[in-house]
Order: sequence, then structure tokens, then C-alpha cells
Amino acid sequence: MPGEIFNANPTVYAPSKPYTRKSHLDSGRSLWMGDVQDEEDDSDIEPIDQDEIFDLIRSIYDPEHPNTLEELRVVSAPQIKVSENRIFVEFTPTVPHCGMSTLIGLSIRVRLLRSLPDRFKVDIRVKPGSHQSEHAVNKQLNDKERVAAALENPTLLDTLEQTLADVGRRGRSGETISLSLT
Amino acid sequence: MDPTVRLVRTWMGSGRDIEIQETVSGIANGQITLLNVVKALGEYLTAEEDELRTKGVEFLSLVMGKCPPEMISRVSARVLITFYCGKLDDTETIVPALKGLATLVSLSTCTSSDVEDIIRALFFHVKMHALAAPNRLLVFSIIDSLMARQREALKSMHHEFLSGYVTLVEGEKDPRNLMTAFAIARVILIEFDIADHIEALFNITFCYFPISFRPPADDPYGISPDDLKMALRSCLCATPLFGPLAIPLYLEKLMAGSPVSKRDTLQSMSASLPVYGASLACDSARKLWSSLKLEIFQSTDPITEEEALKTTQVLIRTIYADFTPHDMDTEDIQGLAREACEECTQILQEPEKSQAKPAIKVLCAFISTTPSVSRYTLSQAIPHMVKLFLNPHELSNRAPITILLTDLVAAARDAMSKSFADPELEVPLMPFKDEVLGVFTVGLKATSSRQPALAGLKAMVNTPTLLADDELGFIVHNVDDMLQADPDDGDDVIDDTLDLLSSISSINPRHVEAQTLPLLFSSLSDKAPARIATTDRAKYWRTLSALSKLCIQQELFETLVVRLSTKMDLICIPVMPTTHNWDLEPSAAYVHAILTALANTLRTKVDLGHTDVPKYIDRLVSRLYNLFIYSALLSTEYRTAATDPRVIDIAAQIITLVIRTLPIQRQEVFAAALFSAYLSGDVKGIAEGHQKMPADKTFRPFQSTSPETQRNLVALFAAGIVPLRKEVHMSSETPAQFLTALVAWDVPTFHSLQIQSIWHISASVVNKRADDILSFLSDMQETFWGQEIANTSISSERRAHAIKTWVWISKGLLVRNHPDAMLFVDRLFEVLGDEQIGWDAARGIGEIGNTDNILTKRNYAMIRILYAQKFFNSMLPRIIQGGQSSQSHEQSAYRVALVSLIKSMPQTAYMHEMSSLVPLLIRGLDLPDAEIRASVIDIFISAVGSDSAEHSGIYEHASTLVSIMLRNSIASEMSSTRVRIAALRYLGILPNIVRYDVLHPYKPTVIRELEKVLDDPKRSVRREAVDARTSWFKYNG
Repeated sequence: MPGEIFNANPTVYAPSKPYTRKSHLDSGRSLWMGDVQDEEDDSDIEPIDQDEIFDLIRSIYDPEHPNTLEELRVVSAPQIKVSENRIFVEFTPTVPHCGMSTLIGLSIRVRLLRSLPDRFKVDIRVKPGSHQSEHAVNKQLNDKERVAAALENPTLLDTLEQTLADVGRRGRSGETISLSLT
Repeated sequence: MDPTVRLVRTWMGSGRDIEIQETVSGIANGQITLLNVVKALGEYLTAEEDELRTKGVEFLSLVMGKCPPEMISRVSARVLITFYCGKLDDTETIVPALKGLATLVSLSTCTSSDVEDIIRALFFHVKMHALAAPNRLLVFSIIDSLMARQREALKSMHHEFLSGYVTLVEGEKDPRNLMTAFAIARVILIEFDIADHIEALFNITFCYFPISFRPPADDPYGISPDDLKMALRSCLCATPLFGPLAIPLYLEKLMAGSPVSKRDTLQSMSASLPVYGASLACDSARKLWSSLKLEIFQSTDPITEEEALKTTQVLIRTIYADFTPHDMDTEDIQGLAREACEECTQILQEPEKSQAKPAIKVLCAFISTTPSVSRYTLSQAIPHMVKLFLNPHELSNRAPITILLTDLVAAARDAMSKSFADPELEVPLMPFKDEVLGVFTVGLKATSSRQPALAGLKAMVNTPTLLADDELGFIVHNVDDMLQADPDDGDDVIDDTLDLLSSISSINPRHVEAQTLPLLFSSLSDKAPARIATTDRAKYWRTLSALSKLCIQQELFETLVVRLSTKMDLICIPVMPTTHNWDLEPSAAYVHAILTALANTLRTKVDLGHTDVPKYIDRLVSRLYNLFIYSALLSTEYRTAATDPRVIDIAAQIITLVIRTLPIQRQEVFAAALFSAYLSGDVKGIAEGHQKMPADKTFRPFQSTSPETQRNLVALFAAGIVPLRKEVHMSSETPAQFLTALVAWDVPTFHSLQIQSIWHISASVVNKRADDILSFLSDMQETFWGQEIANTSISSERRAHAIKTWVWISKGLLVRNHPDAMLFVDRLFEVLGDEQIGWDAARGIGEIGNTDNILTKRNYAMIRILYAQKFFNSMLPRIIQGGQSSQSHEQSAYRVALVSLIKSMPQTAYMHEMSSLVPLLIRGLDLPDAEIRASVIDIFISAVGSDSAEHSGIYEHASTLVSIMLRNSIASEMSSTRVRIAALRYLGILPNIVRYDVLHPYKPTVIRELEKVLDDPKRSVRREAVDARTSWFKYNG
């Protein structure tokens, strides 16, 4: 990693379970054991919710460490709010002077840009009081033109792609994903 | 003319092999002597013309190469060697001369006295840089031969040989030559007196390190980078004298290299350090550790980190190999191990931080080194972690501390299994057992540290001889609470708990039996919870699946069967009068769950090969028949949970599992009783149990006037017949009569349970008794086909079921390669054009080749190998052809048949046909049936092999596939979730298997269209859409 390392030894937390939604077995909702209704074609609409957004961003890598944003508690499900056409994502840098905060915010922005229908307006902010230049970071992250300009920069884009390399894991570990792909 | 002269002259003109051959055979039978040859060559050998000289020597060398060794006498060898050595200084003759020498040095007639001459001549005349690589190889093989045969002579040349050789190899770059050079170098380094030449030898070996060779695509020699690496490594670690020079070089390469060369460096260090010796390792310990530390704490990737840890272990082992403390009781140790340990424990002061992970890895690595270091490390690390855990300020960090401590416990356990040669060796963890056990038990109490604490306890339990029996009991006592915990309360740890309890019960089942099982059994109520009581239901599911996982051992399973079958009787009996309007479904679901638990445990036991399964024919199977037949008989007046088809189905699974394990005599007895119950109504033989059959009712499941509840029990008949061995006698009637009656059995409701049972019995009996049922088979062809399938005047539903019957019978024949199988299959093609059942027949054709769980080896079915492959190979051309020539309404049936056939085959069967199948499969995607579309896409997905060359069939259709997949992934155009998911999955795979230049024009369209799918109503679809779209975003040239 070139340049200054802002937090060489961050706290790592155990990730929560891959699926935060209740499993079939725990709910007791259906009467028969093992009665898994497969991909039902009913007209039930399952709206996009907090957990789904969290699943999208939890496995983004921290630009400084081989850890995910979830493991460093930079993002968490309760820090996400979803309403009709608006999404609010708050994240917590590991140290207040973290120079990587904008980059982290940007990778969340890019991931959601690629993964959500464009009817959503997405706000991305650092947790109030968690960063010394909170205002500047927020401004940068929510300014369309600035984000677009940043994405024109090939070096930056390359770094962003690296943080998004395994984002499809959605909280699962490496082995399980390779199994599910085969 | 002298024949030799003639041969030589002819060859000079022709250059053919034949003259060489003749000369050689002349020598072999004594007509020609080598001397003749040399004489005949005379004029050429001294010719002015360069080409003639070359050819002259060439001829001699070729003859030599093929000449029988015994024909070359000591004298001729001597003469020839001198001759060849003389020819080395002529650039025109050097190459054939080397060839001649290469032959000569491999002969026994070449002696040590020749060695010096050859070597001197080589060193003096040969300019390596002037020779092409294959010719340089000749030089290396000459030296290699001498090294093998005349090593002492080479050694006696001392300085002359070494310095000459070093000059000779300098600058060599050809991988094939290097392989030989490295082999020579290794011998020199190990056996020769090299003390004065160490620097030169270091230069000609270490200059190649690290190897960065990449073989060309069509490398004819097949030398891999790994071959070179290994050959070079064997030189690098050949002598301790290299040590002082090598270590700085290794460290420099480690610092600067790419991940691949870092790994190579680490592996080479691991190989070299033990050779270089303890004192050098000791002196360079600090420098080495500080470089290795970097690779561990700031690792570039996990593999390099792993290698660095291994090298650290080697370093420690090398330093402390001979270290034996004066007093075995002292754990004190000096030097690197101590310093590194202190460093790591210091880092572990902050157990929650990311650096704690590599620190614990280092300590764990130390544990598997030498006994003294292992003891020291544990004595430092364990008390440190325990103290940290108990520190009130670290309360919030108990989870990470528990995880780290578990790593240590597991490392101590694994170190034991490695050095288990010595059973006397004490268990390394023994001195700290109580503290660690205490920490883990406390860890169980808090939600956050529960899961790691369970893992830690498991590591302790799995450490042989560590825990005493009462300590196992103590753990079981503490863990039992977890099973009762509400899953809403934090993380669900049931699976980990069961895992731990299973580990304990495999050592001693008594604790689980005495403590855990009563707890679980008592939480199962005698009555089913009401329909709305979801929490209670979820609870009994959890309890039952816990019991099912725990009760694998013989003693525990016995208890399980007794308790659960009693519970089952309690729920089903007393029965309710039919007039009573009571909701029976929850009870049926409860019984179903109980039976599922029993079936799952039985399945595990069968897989593990437990021998106690057969005895459950009396203890369980009889009770099942008893309860179900009793319930069916009573069903006209009373209702019971045991008449529910789903409950019957799971009971059938249990019966099959047990009957399979019976020995043949016991199966005979069972089969006789089974048939007399089902065909004559005499149930005594199979239905022994608590319920007394009503005297006024008879069991007549096959009678058309019997109630549905009785007829459903045919499923338990099938469950008993399917697993019978083929030798077992079945009924009083002949098998043919039995089958004819069976397929004629009128199933008015087309109840799936009943009709499926008929199919399974037919397939199984046809398969096992094919030779006894010829009359039945001809009857099927002559009567059944006309009346039940070709007959358009009966309902299409009935015809479709008859097709299924037909398919199952065909399967029974096909898997044993019966000659009649194809007669049956052929008939299905006759009705492909039928509007009502054409598609059913088409699906059937594919299903015949499908594997199922009825015709299996476990059920003693007769199965010939490769039957499916044969079937596929004969069907495929026929279906492809039929699809082209037939009329349009038949064409779609042919497409259905094709999809169904391919779907039933393993991918390897059709992979080589893929390029011709792709267009046909794409047309299958036009069919309106969602199930078929999903199957086609699944075939495409499974055809994605690892070898991209095999996608050639995909390339030309890639653009079509993209647009079809897009169409099938949009909810407004495709209502089936399954198809949408499959289409998106394949769409996401395409960029990985198709070159960018082929598909890049579609990138903007795909990304734009998928944006709509991101708003799909179904979560599972959106997920696939996100992944597919990401994959296209990453698709770049």
C-alpha cells in the first residue's frame, strides 16, 4: 500500500450471520417441516429493505486492509435507512483522521449506483462526529458532478474496483462462494 | 572395392540411415572393424573442404552411437577418445566429435585414465557461447555421464576441474541445459572439496534465483518453471558453505519480489536453513525474523503469509533442534523464540485489533516446532490470554480473546497429532487445562463469546486424553442450556452446540444420554401445538433436528426410537370420530416431523455403516405398519393423523431404509408377510404392535371399493418391495401376473401417492425379474399400449399417467441393458405427434435415461455400467434428425425430448457435442413452457466448463444468447421466477467465457436493460441481477 497508512491496526469485529432475515426453520410459519416453498411465482412483492442494502455493501474491502467494511464496523445494517425512493447510508471511519474516508464513501456510492434502480436517491454520509473533516467528505460524496469527475480518473477507478473485488460475497466467506458458483 | 569404403562413399552422397545401419551390422557380425571404418573415412577426416570433414566425423559418430558396446574394445575406445578430443578444436568437427564423445563416455571401456584428457580437451577447446543450445547440451551430458561413472577421477582433478567447470557453465540460459547443469552442480556441491571455490559456485547457482522462467506455449521439452525451481533449490540447499552468502541474498529477494518469487524465496529458505546450520541461523536470527515478520504482519496474500509462517517454524526448529534445557522443568528459553514470543504477546494486549490475528498465528506456529519452544510458548501465551480474559477492562473484548485462545488450543492439539509417535509425550495443554476450561465455560454465558467458546471447547474435547470423563460431563452440563436458548436471542449457536455434543458423545455417549436427551425429550409435548402456535412449532422442529443429529450412536438411537415411536402413538391415538370437526393437520405435521427426524438419523447411520439398523425391522418397521394399517382400517369411523399422505410418505422412507439392510433370509420372511398382508389381508406378520386390529374390518388396499385411506397404504407396500434383493421370492402369483394386475389397477383419483407406488413397484420388479416376466412385457406391448396410450377416446390425464407407467417400465429394462428396452422406447416416438400426450412422451424419452432413487444399487437393482451413455448416444442423433424432418407440431415435441434428454445426462456425456447442440437448444428457448426454458438455461450454465476452448459452440451464438437471456430476465415478460434467475445467472457468466471483442457491442444495452431488473419484485431475482450487472461492468478489453 503506497503512502501513509492511517490506521495500521484497526479493530476487527466478528461478522454477523450472512443472512439476517429469519430462516425458514426458525419461523415455524409453515405447518410442515422441510416444506420449503420454492421460488414461488406468486405476486408477493418483496420490497428492497435495509438488510438488502447492507448485503450489497458489507463485503466491500477497506482500501487499507484485507478486511471488509463489515468486519471493521465501518458499515452496519442499523446505519441504513430505506424509504419509498430514498436511501440513507451512514458509515463510520475507523479513526477520525482517516484519509481514506472519501474513498470508502465513493466505493459505497459506486456499488449502489450499479446495484440499485435509479428511482432511488442515495445519501451517503459519515457518522456525525466520527471524522475531522466530516463536512467536506459529505459534500464530496453527495455531489453528482464531483463523483462523476472522480470516476473519470483511471487510477482511482482501479483502486475502487479493488475494494469491490469480492463484493458479491455479501458477508459469506471465500469458500462458500466458490461452492455456490459451481 | 572394400565394402566399408563403398558404404562410406554412398553415405557421403546420400546421407541416408541405411548405410549407417549396414555399417553397424557389419561391425556387429565381425565383417567390418572400427579400424576399417576409420581407414575408409581417412580422406574425409583430413579433407580441406569443411563440409567433408564435418561429414566424416559425423559418420563415425553415428556409427559409434549405434554400435553394440561390446564391439568397442578398450584400445579402440582409447584411440577414438584421443581422436575426438583432437577434433574439438576444429569448428567444423566439434559438434559430431561431441556426439561421439557423448557415446564413448557412457561405455565401460572408457576408464578413469581417459577422464582427464576428455575434461582438459573440453575445457581447452570448447567455447560454449559459440555453440547452439542443443550442442551445449552435449557438453553437459558428457560431464553428467562422467559425473555418474567417473566421479572419483573428476574429484582428483581438484582445482582444475572446478575452475574449468565454472567457466564452462557461466552464462547458460537454456532451461534444458540448466536442468542438467543444476544436477551436476548439486553433486559438486555435496561431494567435492569446494571450500576454495565457494564464491564462484555461489555465482553460477544463485545468479538464477529466483527463477522467472515462463515456458513458451508450445514448449517441446515440457520443462515447467517448477521443475527448474526444484532443481535449482536442490543446489541452493546443497552445502552449508553457502549460508553466509545466501542469507543476505534471500532477504534481498524477499523484500523486492513479486508474490510468486516471495513464495519461492520462502520455500528455498525453508529448504536451506536446516542445511546451513544452527549457528548461522542463530547469528542471523534477528535479521531473518524481521523480514519474515513483515511477510506475516503485512502480508501480500494468505499463501505467502502461510509460507512465511512455515519458514519461521523451520528457523525456530533449526535454532533449537539440539537445545535441551538442563532441567526439563524449566520453561525458560533464550534467543529468538523468547523475543518473538514477547513481541507477539505484546501485540495481543489489544486482542480486538487486526494485528492480533497474525500474532496468534506466529505463536501457533511456534507450538508445532520443538518440544522446548512449544512448552515455552504455551507457558507464555495461555496465561497471558487467560489473564486478559479475566481483566474487567477487557470485558467487551471477550469474544476476540476467546477466538485467539481457541486458536492456541487447536494448535496445541494439532502439534500433538504430528508428534504422536511418542505416546509417552505429555499433552501440551495439560498444565493449563483448568484455567482454559474455566474461560470457555464463562465465555458460554455471554451472547457474543458463545460461539467462539463452543469452538474452543470442541478443540479441547478433540485433544486426545486431555479431558477426564467428569470434565466431559461438566461441559455437557454447561452446554445444554444453549439448546434451550431462544434463537431470537442473538446468534444462533444450536449447530455449534450439537457439533460439540456429538464430539463428546463419540467419546462417551453416557453424558449426553443422561443429561441432554431427557432435557430434549421433555420439551416435546404429547400434543401437537395448534395451527397458530408458530413459536411452539419452531421449537419442536429445533428439538427434533437436535435429537436427530445427536442420537447417531447405537445406545442413543435406541432411546430415540423408543421415545419417538411412543410419542407418535400418543399423538395419533386416541382417534377422533369422523363427526368431530377437529383440525388434524397440526398433529399430522407433528408426526411427520417426528418421522423425518427418525429417517434422517437412520440415513446417517446407514451411511456410516452402522450394524444395528437391521434390528429395527421389529422395533420400528412393524410398529409403523401396525399404526398405519390400524389407522386406515378405523378411518371409516375415526380420523387420525396417520392417514395423511405426507405422513405415509415419510414412513415409507423409513421402511425402505431398514429393509435394505436386512440379510436375504430375513427379507424372505418379511416379503412373505408383506404380500400376505397386502394381497390376502392377513396383517399379523408385518404389523406387530400396540394397536389391536379391529376384528370386523379387513385390509384390502387393492380393492376398488376400499376407502382411499387404505389404498394410500400401497405406498408402504412399495416401500417394502423396492429394497428387496432380486433372489427374494415375492408372491404366490407369478411376477408377470402380479405386474399385469398391478398396472391394470384402477386408480380413479390419480392420487400421486398411489400411482407413484405403482410406478416404483413396476420398475423395481421389472428390473429384478426381467427374465420371468416375458408374458407381461408382450402384454404391455400388445394390449396396454393400444388401450391406455394410443387410445384417444380416454381422458388425456389417464393417457399421460399410462405414459409414465410405460416410462418406468422402460427404465427398469434399460438400466440392466435388457434387449426389450429399446422396443419400449421406440413406441414413445410413435405418439410424439399426438396433440394430447406428445409432450408427455417427449419428456418421458429423456426421463428414461435419468437416474432416480428407486433403481439404485442400494435397492439391489441390476444396473449395467454406461447404460445411460449408450442410451444417450443412440437417442441423440435420432431426436436431432426427427426434429429436422418432422412436421411442425412434432418439431416442438422433439425439442422437448432433446431438452429432457440432455438434462438427464451428466455434462461430460454431451460436452463434445455441445457445438452442434447449441442451436437446437436455443430453439428450445422459444417453447412457451417455463420449466423447459429453465432447463435449457441450466444446461447452458452447467456446460460452462473450465476450458474456454469448449465454448466454441457458444461464440457464434453469443449475441443471440444475450438478447434471449435479457428477454427472459424481465419480470413483465417472464412470470417464472426460476427462469428469470437462471437467465440472469447465465447472463452474468457470459462475460467470463466469451472474449470481449465478441460481446462488447452489447455492454451498454445489457447494463441499461438490467437496470430495470434491479427493481424486480423478488429479492432473489434482484440479487442475481446485481451480480450479472456487476459482471458486465467489469467486462473490459
